[in-house]
Amino acid sequence: MELTDADLVARVLVDDDQHAFGELVRRHQSSVRGLLRQLTRTDVALADDLAQQAFLRAYKNIRSFRGEARFSTWLYRIAYNCFREDARRRKELVGIDEEQLQTQHDPQAADPGLRHDLMRALNLLPLNERSAILLCCQNGLSHDEAASVLDIPLGTVKTNVLRGREKLKRMLADWGPN
Amino acid sequence: MNQEDWLDRELREAAPYIDDDGFTVRVLQQLPAPRRSRDLLRAVILLGMTFLASVLAYVVSGGGRFVSVSLERLAALPALWVFVLALASGLVMAAAGATAAISRSRASLT
Repeated sequence: MELTDADLVARVLVDDDQHAFGELVRRHQSSVRGLLRQLTRTDVALADDLAQQAFLRAYKNIRSFRGEARFSTWLYRIAYNCFREDARRRKELVGIDEEQLQTQHDPQAADPGLRHDLMRALNLLPLNERSAILLCCQNGLSHDEAASVLDIPLGTVKTNVLRGREKLKRMLADWGPN
Repeated sequence: MNQEDWLDRELREAAPYIDDDGFTVRVLQQLPAPRRSRDLLRAVILLGMTFLASVLAYVVSGGGRFVSVSLERLAALPALWVFVLALASGLVMAAAGATAAISRSRASLT
């Protein structure tokens, strides 16, 4: 029988079992790295550095994981904090404005792939909307969980998801169902 | 199918599985040494210090004469005093053991 995340966390806590922590990393590396790649606008090297930093921080602070939230949610929060600290250092926290969004959108651009357009559209969203969309729509977190990861009020998460979706719909109007 | 469903599906599919590709190994290599080896090192240091302190005390006290002197004094004490001393020592040890056990069980519960 496969051990749950909670079992593995307990092994790390009680026995300092690094193999158990390795299993946790193996289980969650894809989603954490994926989230960070989207947040860093597909800067793969930076995203992987931040993911490593996030897992190391998770290991060092695993005693603060109380099991009230899912382990993945707790990890996303650490990963998001790593990203935010790094972005603050790089002063990249400012998103783009609406005008920029509209002028940059060109559905007839060179690459006709929907996936490519979706990624480009996501990257054009301001950070707060992009983060909320990535967590709720792509990684399946509830609005409550996303609010906890992003450390913002629940209402703000809902607004950001709504606004982000509206913008995505506008930018991808040519691909949507008629 | 409405636009919401379509967008959600595309967003989910736009996040493919990322192969580990050595990532986990790199993370594990950067972890601090396991607590067990840290504990072992701490035990070795403590035992070494204790041994050195004992040797030093033995030498400084003129071959441990203070031990026999203290024992003689203890033997000369009234029986009630010896009993109180033993009881106090027992209580201190029991309290220390209980404190250690409680903190250990709290750590494993979190």
